[in-house]
Amino acid sequence: MIEMVLQTGLFLSISAVPLVLALGLLIWPRWQFLSVLAQWAALPGLLCALLLPWATDISLPWLLLGVQLGIDAATRTFLFFTGLLWLTAGIFAGSYLAHDQNKRRFLVFFLLAMGGNLGLVVAQDMLSFYMFFALMSFASYGLITHERTANAWRAGRIYIVMVIAGELMLFAGLVLAAQHAGSILFADAAPALATAPARDLIFALLLGGFGIKLGVLGLHVWLPLAHPVAPTPASAVLSGAMIKAGLLGWLNLLPLGTVPLNGWGAALMAVGLLAVFYAAVIGVTQRNPKTVLAYSSISQMGLATCAVGMGLAAPHHWPEISAIIVFFALNHALAKSTLFLGVGIAAGRLTGNWQRGLVVAGLAVPALALAGAPFSGGGLVKELLSAQAASIAAPWGDLLKTLLSWTVLATVILMARFLYLIWPRADVTARAPAVGMVLPSAVLIGTLLLAPSFFGPAGTASIWIAPIIQSSLTNLTLALLAAVFGGWLVARSGTDRILRLPAGDLVVLAERAAVSIFAIGRRLLAAFDRLYRGGGAMLHARWQRLRWPVAPDYAMELAWTSASLLFLLLLVVFMLAAA
Amino acid sequence: MSWNAALPLLVLASSLVPGLIIFCLPEDAKRVRTTLNMAGVLLKLALVAFMVWGVGQGERYEVRLQMLPDIDFVLRADALSMFFALLSSLLWLATTIYAIGYLEDSPNRSRFFGFFSLCMTATLGVALAGNLVTFLLFYELLTLATYPLVVHRGTETSLRAGRIYLAYTVAGGAMLLAAIAWLHGLTGNLEFSANGFVAGLVEDHRTELIIIFALLIAGLGVKAALVPLHGWLPQAMVAPAPVSALLHAVAVVKAGAFGIIRVVHDVYGIEVAQDLGVTIPLAVLAAVTIVYGSLQALRQTDLKRRLAFSTVSQVSYITLGVAIAGPIATIGGIAHLVHQGLMKVTLFFCAGNLAETLGIHNVDQMRGVGRRMPWTMAAFTIAAFGMIGTPPMAGFFSKWFLASGGLDAGQNWVLAVLIVSSLLNAAYFLPVLWTAWFAEPDGDWPAERSYGRWETAMSLLAPTVFAAFIALGVGLFASMPFSPLQWARLVVSQEFQP
Repeated sequence: MIEMVLQTGLFLSISAVPLVLALGLLIWPRWQFLSVLAQWAALPGLLCALLLPWATDISLPWLLLGVQLGIDAATRTFLFFTGLLWLTAGIFAGSYLAHDQNKRRFLVFFLLAMGGNLGLVVAQDMLSFYMFFALMSFASYGLITHERTANAWRAGRIYIVMVIAGELMLFAGLVLAAQHAGSILFADAAPALATAPARDLIFALLLGGFGIKLGVLGLHVWLPLAHPVAPTPASAVLSGAMIKAGLLGWLNLLPLGTVPLNGWGAALMAVGLLAVFYAAVIGVTQRNPKTVLAYSSISQMGLATCAVGMGLAAPHHWPEISAIIVFFALNHALAKSTLFLGVGIAAGRLTGNWQRGLVVAGLAVPALALAGAPFSGGGLVKELLSAQAASIAAPWGDLLKTLLSWTVLATVILMARFLYLIWPRADVTARAPAVGMVLPSAVLIGTLLLAPSFFGPAGTASIWIAPIIQSSLTNLTLALLAAVFGGWLVARSGTDRILRLPAGDLVVLAERAAVSIFAIGRRLLAAFDRLYRGGGAMLHARWQRLRWPVAPDYAMELAWTSASLLFLLLLVVFMLAAA
Repeated sequence: MSWNAALPLLVLASSLVPGLIIFCLPEDAKRVRTTLNMAGVLLKLALVAFMVWGVGQGERYEVRLQMLPDIDFVLRADALSMFFALLSSLLWLATTIYAIGYLEDSPNRSRFFGFFSLCMTATLGVALAGNLVTFLLFYELLTLATYPLVVHRGTETSLRAGRIYLAYTVAGGAMLLAAIAWLHGLTGNLEFSANGFVAGLVEDHRTELIIIFALLIAGLGVKAALVPLHGWLPQAMVAPAPVSALLHAVAVVKAGAFGIIRVVHDVYGIEVAQDLGVTIPLAVLAAVTIVYGSLQALRQTDLKRRLAFSTVSQVSYITLGVAIAGPIATIGGIAHLVHQGLMKVTLFFCAGNLAETLGIHNVDQMRGVGRRMPWTMAAFTIAAFGMIGTPPMAGFFSKWFLASGGLDAGQNWVLAVLIVSSLLNAAYFLPVLWTAWFAEPDGDWPAERSYGRWETAMSLLAPTVFAAFIALGVGLFASMPFSPLQWARLVVSQEFQP
C-alpha cells in the first residue's frame, strides 16, 4: 500500500514538480529560491527513470477520462535522456540567463514545457499524452520568442501556425483511432490500428501531427527558424528532447510489429532518407551555427523516420529495430543538446589556447558521435541499422545499406560546417563561460561516451567484439576520415557564398503564398461586406418604415408588468399547493 | 403537501421572494439588498444541491397543480433538469457577487437586482418544467424578465438593442406557442417523458409532426441563437457585463438549447425524431451555425462582440450533439451545456473586469494587459484554451465526445466541422492572448481605476477566478462522480433506455 502511494507520488511528481514551480514563480515573483529550485525541477523525472522498478504502471481513473502512466524499456530510456537534458539545460540556463531581466518569464515557460515533455514520456493513454504534448507545444512559444527580436517573432508565428495544424491533425487522428479501438490506451489502440477501416487516414493524420514536431521533410520548415532563435538552453531542449516527443508519439501509436505495411514503410523510408541529404545540402549553406545544428536535427530525424519505416515494412524485426530507434534517440538527444550548449560556451571569452582547445575537443565528441565514428553511439546505430536493412524486401534492402553509409557523409559535412562556424575566437567583450554552463555540458559528454555500454540495444557487445564487423569498422573509419577531410574543405570553401539559401527554405515560398491568400481573402471579405451592408441598409430602411410602436420609456412599464405577472403566478401556485 | 413536492416550489421561491422584496427597497439600502441577494443565492444552491443528491439516489420530486381543466402546472426534477438547475444556481452565485461589485455605484440597483432574481426564477422554472405548457410559461417570463436587464443602462443603443431583442424573442415565443397549441390539439398530452409522447401520432400525422418540430425549433432557436435567428445576440452586448455573462452562459441562450434537448428527447423521443428525418437537418443547421459564428467572431475587434459570436458558435455544439442522435454525441452535447456555461461566464467576467478597471473594450487596447491584470488574464487564458478545445480544459471533453459520437453514429462530417471550428476558435482567441501577454503596452490605459492591493475589485476578481477554476476542474476531474460529464452520462443512460 505504502509502496503504491509512493510510486503514484513519484509518477505524479515527474510533471507536477515543474508545473507547481511554474505556478509558484507566477504567483510569488519575489521568492528568489523558486528560480533556484526551477533549475532542478527535472530531477524527479530523472530519478524515476533510474530508480523505479521495471515495467511500473499506475492508473488514475479519476483524472481526465482515466489516466494511465507507466514505464517500460523504451519509455525508461526516453525518460532518462529527457530528464537529463532538462536538468542540464536548467542548470545551464541559471548561469546563461543570470543577467537577463526577463529570466523569470523564461523560467515559467521553460518549466511549463518541461512539465509537458516529461509528462508525455510516461503517458500511456492518448488523452494525457495529448494534454502534455499540447502543454509543451504551446509553452515552447514563450521560449522561442524570448528574445523579442523580429526574427524571433517571425519564427514564433510560423511555429504557432504549425503547432495548431499539428494539434488539430492529432485530435482528428486520436479520435478516429480511439473510436476504432474502443479504448484510449496505447496498448489497445496501436495494434487495433492495423486493421482499422480508416487506417490510411489515421496514419496520415498521426504521421503529420507528430511529424511536425519531429521535423519530417515538408513539415520541417518551422524548425530551422525556431530552434536557433531561442536562448541556448532552450534550443538544447527543443532540438534534443522535445523533438523526440513526436518520435515517441509514433512509437506509441503506430501498429508497429503487427502486420507488414509496405506502402507506408516505403513512404517513410523514402521521405526519411531524402530528408537526411536535403537537410545537409541546405544546412551547409547556413551562416548561423545554431541553424546548421537545426538542419542537422532534421537530417538526423530523417534517419529516425527511415528506421520507423523499416519497422513498418518488417514487423517481425520490430523488436530489434525498436531498440535501435530508442538508442538512436538517446544518442542524438545527448549529442545535439551538448552541441547547442557548446554554442553558448564557445561564444564566451575563452582565454588561452588550452581553453579553446578544450572547447573544440568537447564539441568534437558529440559531433563525431552524431556522425557515426567507430565506438560511438552513432557508429553503433549505423552498424545495427545496416544489419537490419538486409531483412527488408528488395529493392529496399540493398539501397538502404548503400544510402545508410552515405548518411555518414551528410552528417560529417554538417558537423564540419558547424565547427568551422563556431571556432572559438578571442572575444574580449564577452563574459567568460560560468561553471554552471561548463559542468552540465561535461556531464552530457560523459553520458554520451558511456551510453553505448549502458543503454546499447541487446547484441551491442557482439557488434563491438565480433571480428567480422572489424572489417566494416575499418571501412567506416576510412570513410569517416575521408569525409572529415572533405567536409573541412567544403566548410572552408564558403558554401554560403556559392549558394545562399534562406533558413527555413520552403517556408519562404509558403509565406509568400500565405500573403497572397490573405490578400485575396481580404478582398473577398470586403466584397461580401459591401453586399451584406447594402442588404442590411435596405432591410433597415424597411424596418424604420414599419414604425416600431415601443416608446423608449417602455422599459419600466414592461418590467413591472412582468414582475407582477410572475408574482401572481407564484401566488396562484402557492394557494393551490396549500389547498 | 409533501416535502418532495414542496422542494421544487421552494427552489423557485428562493429567488422570487428576495427579488420581489428587492423591488420595494429604497436605492440606498445596500446592505439589506446584498443580504437578501446572498441569502437567496445560497439557499437556492443548497436546495438544488440537496435535490441533485436526491435525484442521484433515485428520489422523485414533483409538484402538479391544475391550471386549466386539462392543463397542469408541473415542476419535476429529473436528471436533466437538475443538471441545468445546478449549473444555473452555481453560476448565479458567481454572477450575483460579480454584479454587486460591478454595479457598485450605478443608479437603479433595486430594479436591476429585482429583475436579476426574477430572471433566475424563470430559468429555474425552465429547468424544472415538467410539461410543455409550464416550459412555455417560464420561457416567456424569461424573455420579459431579461428585457429590463438588457436595457438597464437606458442609453439609445441599449434601448435599440432591447427592441431588437424583444422583436426576436417575442416572435420566437409566438411560434413556440403555436406549435404547442397544435401539438395539444393532436395529443392532449404535453408531459415530458423519456421516450417522447408523440410516437402514436407518427402513422397518421407525419407531416404535421414535422411542421410542429420545425416550429418548435424555430421558437427555441431564437434564444439558442441558431443561424439565421441569432441577430439579437450580438446587439444585446450593450448590456452590463454581468448581464451578458448571465445571458450567454446560463439564462437565455441556455434556455433555448435546453429546450431543444427537451423537444428532441422528451417530446418527440430520439427514435421518432430520427424516423421523421428531422435530426439531420437540425445537425446541419447547428454545424452551419458553428462555422458561421466562428467566422463572424474572427471579424470582430470589440472584445464583447467577439465573445458574443463565439457564443453563437459554441452553443450550437449542444444542438449538434443532440441532433447527431447517438448516445455518445448526446453526452458531449449535454455536458457542453455546463462546460460552455463555465467557460463563457469566465470570459465575460474577464471582459467586464477589463472594461471596468482599465476601460478596455477593444482587442487592440489589450496590449500588455497580462502584466497589469495577471489573474484576470490567467482566467481568460484558461477559458480561451477551453474554447479552442485543449485538454485538460472542459471544452476538450465536449469536443472529444461530440467527435466520437459523430463517428459512432456514422456522421463522419461532424469531425470535419469540429476541426474547422477549433481552427477558427484558435484564430480568434490566440491573437487576443498574444496581445495580452506578449505585446508591449503602449502608453496609458483608456480609463484606469485603482483598487489598491489587487488588480481590480475583489468582488469582480473572485468570481472570475472561481469560474475559471471550476472550468479547469470539471475537465481535469471529468471522471469523478457528479462531474458534468458523469452526470451527462447518467442523463443519457435514462434517455437511451432500450
